[in-house]
Amino acid sequence: MAQDAIDGPWSLTIPETLFETLQGHLFPGDGDEHGAVLVAGIHPLRSGCARLLARDLFLAEDGVDYVPGKRGYRMLRAEFVRRHILTCRDEQLVYLAIHNHGGSGSVAFSSDDLNSHERGYPALLDISRGNAVGALVFAHGAVAGDIWLPGGRRVALDRTEIIGRQRRVLRPAPRGSRAKGDPQYDRQTRMFGQAGQLILAGARVAIIGLGGVGSLVAEYLARLGVGAFVLIDPDRLDPTNIPRVVGSRRRDVWWGLSSPTAPAWVRRLALAHATRKVDIARRVITEANPSAHVDAIARNILEPSATADLLECDYIFLAADEMRARLLVNAIVHQYLIPGVQIGSKVSVDESGRLTDVFSVVRPLRPGINCLWCNQLINPGKLADEAKVDRERKGQRYVDDDEVIAPSVITLNGVGAAHACDDFLFFMTALVAPSGTLDFARYESRSRALSMSSPRVDPCCTECSSEVGCRLGHGATGPVLPTFAV
Amino acid sequence: MSPAVQKAIDAITGQFNRDRVLVAADREGGAYVMVEGVTLGAPFAQDDSWIGFHIPSTCPYADVYPHFVRPDLARLDGASLGEGISTGHAFPDQAALKTPGDMPARTAVQVSRRSNRKDTAGLETPLHKLLKVIQWLKTR
Ligand SMILES: [Zn+2]
Ligand SMILES: [Zn+2]
Repeated sequence: MAQDAIDGPWSLTIPETLFETLQGHLFPGDGDEHGAVLVAGIHPLRSGCARLLARDLFLAEDGVDYVPGKRGYRMLRAEFVRRHILTCRDEQLVYLAIHNHGGSGSVAFSSDDLNSHERGYPALLDISRGNAVGALVFAHGAVAGDIWLPGGRRVALDRTEIIGRQRRVLRPAPRGSRAKGDPQYDRQTRMFGQAGQLILAGARVAIIGLGGVGSLVAEYLARLGVGAFVLIDPDRLDPTNIPRVVGSRRRDVWWGLSSPTAPAWVRRLALAHATRKVDIARRVITEANPSAHVDAIARNILEPSATADLLECDYIFLAADEMRARLLVNAIVHQYLIPGVQIGSKVSVDESGRLTDVFSVVRPLRPGINCLWCNQLINPGKLADEAKVDRERKGQRYVDDDEVIAPSVITLNGVGAAHACDDFLFFMTALVAPSGTLDFARYESRSRALSMSSPRVDPCCTECSSEVGCRLGHGATGPVLPTFAV
Repeated sequence: MSPAVQKAIDAITGQFNRDRVLVAADREGGAYVMVEGVTLGAPFAQDDSWIGFHIPSTCPYADVYPHFVRPDLARLDGASLGEGISTGHAFPDQAALKTPGDMPARTAVQVSRRSNRKDTAGLETPLHKLLKVIQWLKTR
């Protein structure tokens, strides 16, 4: 979509680490004005809204890059501006000049600020060749923006979202409180308030994989009052799923016809007509919350049409085991600044069949902060295996490496699903404690031990860094996503 | 084909002669590739072989393995082919091709060399992997 065809509100999303660096620079405690440049990708939504995605931050050094102005109080030096506007032109990114004002809770551009935009931004638009340019002004707890679009239209920034340990929203000025709440949520709003309930009702959440873990996630989120769901899973229910898939019924698999004792052709026919997992989850969600909006997509997540639906979400729950799904979701988290979580459980047995490890993992994914690729949690060999057809995979396997069906148990899934939904709730309602972390968590069922590990970050990672050609915040003009090619 | 897969194929046709490289698309944006007339020689009885392999749509993140070579591969010293090399395979599986018949199947010997985890700074390209496998074969 051309940038000037976007007619809905514009927002800005900033990874928490970038935001903290910027805050430290703008508000060092001297009460003065400071400057910076933010380079952003762009993400047009189907609703006509647009998200600006903070990719890289360049702090202007006082007295060198940020100097006394000819007309206003201070200004960014021409060379500093030029350097970054050329980068934006070359990489198809949005240039945003930043400075701060005093005060807190609300902020607006001064008439000097607006005059300088009118003098300077038409020329910047020319240089940036088809990419928007603009300015942001920060105060404590407030951000305003003036964005100039290539067609000549000019829009005010609606809000700024900070994504990290929790999600915070900053606006140019506080908004009045809205309508009264639904009394059925009385008990939970006593914890997170009517404002929290409205945030959940306004959230659009993707669940990838509606098996043991994903079906529980769907149940928890629906009862919390999450307003919109995108459910993605290509599979139909199998009789062996019933002990784990919440809301599944025997008649979903034509029980009796699909049992191992039935003739093979009857069984095949029954299973071909079993209920799809996304439709079972849809049933569970609408029973809990009839007003929830549900898109049930019975496709592989790597099909481009399914991927497009993911990009419209505020949070992604990855509850599928495929490495390819990990690769894709991780790329989306960083390139589109959409937070998420990977949930899994594993049961290991040794050669004699004795139980060794039993654990569940919950790995929060946050743009520029937590990356599955940096942490070697996406296995290139398994990516290769998953790209083969079944017969091919079997033919290539060695005899001692038979494909085994992994054990799976609902209680392990429950541990992961509950923790991931709990993390989501506190993230969305911004009630995370100051000591809260984004560490990867691992729960050992047999010893009841909980271990946390701090994810490592590779500064040159193709997925989570802002190096040239890398994904972070690059949005629609960034690298191609690792989906199937049509 | 995905842009990354096309780029990988371009690198391979740049290294080998274009008319020696056969390509057939898979159903997901990846490709099956066959390079004809790769020089082999000692320790093998054959002077050359074709080498076939699959580049998944998730290139360059995915490993490229296994590789396939001529079905009559044998050692000059008469010893067995050794670990990682097995006989009685076919390449490519027609069911995996976007258009079955695009690359007719050949009986083949399979060469299994999995790469250790790729580091993020320098992803191993399918060409790099192919050259490594050829080198490995020559040092058996
Ligand atoms: Zn100002
Ligand atoms: Zn990374």
